[in-house]
Amino acid sequence: MKKGLITALAATMCLSVSLVGCGSSAGSATTGDANTGSGNKEVASASGEAAGDVTIWYYWETEGHQAALNHIIEEFNSQQDDITVQAKYVPFADFKKQLSVGASAGELPDLVILDNPDHAAYAAMGIFADITDKFDVSNYYDGPVNSCTLDGRLYGVPFGSNDLVLFYNEDMLEAAGCEVPTTWDELLTVAKATTKDNVYGFAHCALQNEEGTFNFLPWVWSTGATSYEIDSDGGIKALEFEKSLIESGAFPKEAINWTQGDTMNQFISGNLAMMINGTWQIPTMREEVPDLHWNVAPIPQDKQQASGLGGENYAVIAGGNEDGAVEFLKFATSGETCLYMMNAMGYISADSTIAATQFQGDDVYQVFVDEMQYANARGPLPEWPDISDAISLAFNKVIIGEASPEDAAKEAQATIDSIIGSK
Amino acid sequence: MKKLKEFFRYDNVGLLFILPAFLYMLIFVGYPIISNIGLSFQDVSVRNLANGDRHFIGLANYVEIFSDEFFRKSLVNTLVFTVSCLIFQFLIGFALALFFNKRFKIAKPVRGLLMIPWMMPMTVTALMFKFMFSTDVGIINYILRCLHLIDNNIEWLTTPGTAMAAVVIANIWIGIPFNTILLSTGLTTIPQELYESASVDGANKWQKLFGITLPLLRPTIESILVLGFIYTFKVYDLVYVMTEGGPVNSTHLLSTYSYKLSFDMFQYSKGSAVANVLFVILLLVGMLYIKITMEGEKE
Repeated sequence: MKKGLITALAATMCLSVSLVGCGSSAGSATTGDANTGSGNKEVASASGEAAGDVTIWYYWETEGHQAALNHIIEEFNSQQDDITVQAKYVPFADFKKQLSVGASAGELPDLVILDNPDHAAYAAMGIFADITDKFDVSNYYDGPVNSCTLDGRLYGVPFGSNDLVLFYNEDMLEAAGCEVPTTWDELLTVAKATTKDNVYGFAHCALQNEEGTFNFLPWVWSTGATSYEIDSDGGIKALEFEKSLIESGAFPKEAINWTQGDTMNQFISGNLAMMINGTWQIPTMREEVPDLHWNVAPIPQDKQQASGLGGENYAVIAGGNEDGAVEFLKFATSGETCLYMMNAMGYISADSTIAATQFQGDDVYQVFVDEMQYANARGPLPEWPDISDAISLAFNKVIIGEASPEDAAKEAQATIDSIIGSK
Repeated sequence: MKKLKEFFRYDNVGLLFILPAFLYMLIFVGYPIISNIGLSFQDVSVRNLANGDRHFIGLANYVEIFSDEFFRKSLVNTLVFTVSCLIFQFLIGFALALFFNKRFKIAKPVRGLLMIPWMMPMTVTALMFKFMFSTDVGIINYILRCLHLIDNNIEWLTTPGTAMAAVVIANIWIGIPFNTILLSTGLTTIPQELYESASVDGANKWQKLFGITLPLLRPTIESILVLGFIYTFKVYDLVYVMTEGGPVNSTHLLSTYSYKLSFDMFQYSKGSAVANVLFVILLLVGMLYIKITMEGEKE
């Protein structure tokens, strides 16, 4: 029997090894204050010391984005001889896992470009270097900068931003005799009027994850409530609005399985008259369906205008080649390089002075740039993923009819309070 | 077998031969498991993953997950998923094995084709079923409508109950070939003479099935069910691609829930506690399997 037990153990080990979480080696990536702490003077002379390789991780799957990044990397590498930068693509689905595993195993790159709501979590883990004195962000929009900040210290630099607006199919709205909606009531009316045959009037990505939360939260903010006040008049009102959309039959329940990319595909295939979506879809849409008549408008509002702030941040890994990474950051965020990247990728620069010059004469982008000042950031809070999970569970329950808006809100609030309260 | 045992008894040099394999298992399989068990008794989360400030908190994680509604749900889901898949995979697989055991002309090539579901990457299968179960454009609703079985489209993947059914159906489709092939092989080991003499004695088809085939196949059937249990119990990719555990966490299995806790929500210790529950259940089933095969060898 002893032999049996050992063999059984071995067999089970083989089968379950893929499920085992991360290891527990600790301490190899503690905050790098030791070599970053001495302030401005050192920065001035840093260019002399910075040398070696800098590895970057990023997750953009779009070819144009990858090409743009590689282009500026080549430019940087050919400009000087001390630092060699190279970039590595890690799929979005694996990105968080790789960072977590890398953090506990001490195998991280020197610079990462990551989704901004996750920034605070990793900063709290201590894997990002404090670059408060090394980088000037005074020209940047507040929302993006907040997402890189934890306890008043700067742990990264906004890469670029995007936000959400309402996309609408001009032909479908015209055929239904509708104006572009500006309030929730109008949105509901127009959505109903444009729903027929295979066409749904309106949808937004409603996945039960960060992506869904990103698309849902503008409703909450528009009522004046914050992300942490779901069981408030505003939060419940937002959930009720979602419910009325579903009940009208104009909003497909299947949106709970649609990514933002799926939603865009439904829109350009003519299955959707209106959708909420982001800046980064524009280059693709202009290329794929040049003949489709679509336009954008601010997200219809309840009490106040609101949008979701998305985008990526650069973060320097603590204990890596920090000086080299900062050097590259300064290059990548400098006026012309930054402008090139932003335009190639369809992003709005987080640097307001650059953003102001970006899309002059482009009416579609102008709507996004205007919406930036109403765009709210998610978090920043290390436990944001848990908050986000509670919120996305709430609107998913409402969408599929598992819970009333009141009950869903109450449940989400209990989770949120337990997280914020336990801090 | 006996000679081998004597060899080990008199010459321990043999132990050296298993050393590389033993070391490999110890480092790459044993260590992660031990470390994962350790992790589940600590309080590792987003705040202390990298700085090493972690504390031993005993069984708190296990107490917490067992009071977590979604953990209990995923435990039940995993059991329901495994058992219902096993039953249908086995019954359909067995029927097909019996069918292809008849020596008709194209039996062999068709039996080979049957392996395709088993060979396809799980994510491909999952995507395919996701499309097929889609509410408005899915072929399954289309067929059901054409047959006038339903009037309105079923919202397969957006309703908790049917989403679970859809995932189970997809996994049954994947598992049938595994059962068919193993049972076919088992069937070929039964001597034809037994059936012939049974025919002479006047036994009918059912009597042959229950009197000869099933008793002689018992060891094969036992192995298939236990192995099938282990394979099905730890399914991850299928559910992750088809539903991501949704809608509203109704299709989470222990595997997907553990992943979600660890890598979406950064609650590493809780995630590893869930993985350990999965591990313990599989360990028990694994021991059962060893016991069965050892008894088989004795006979």
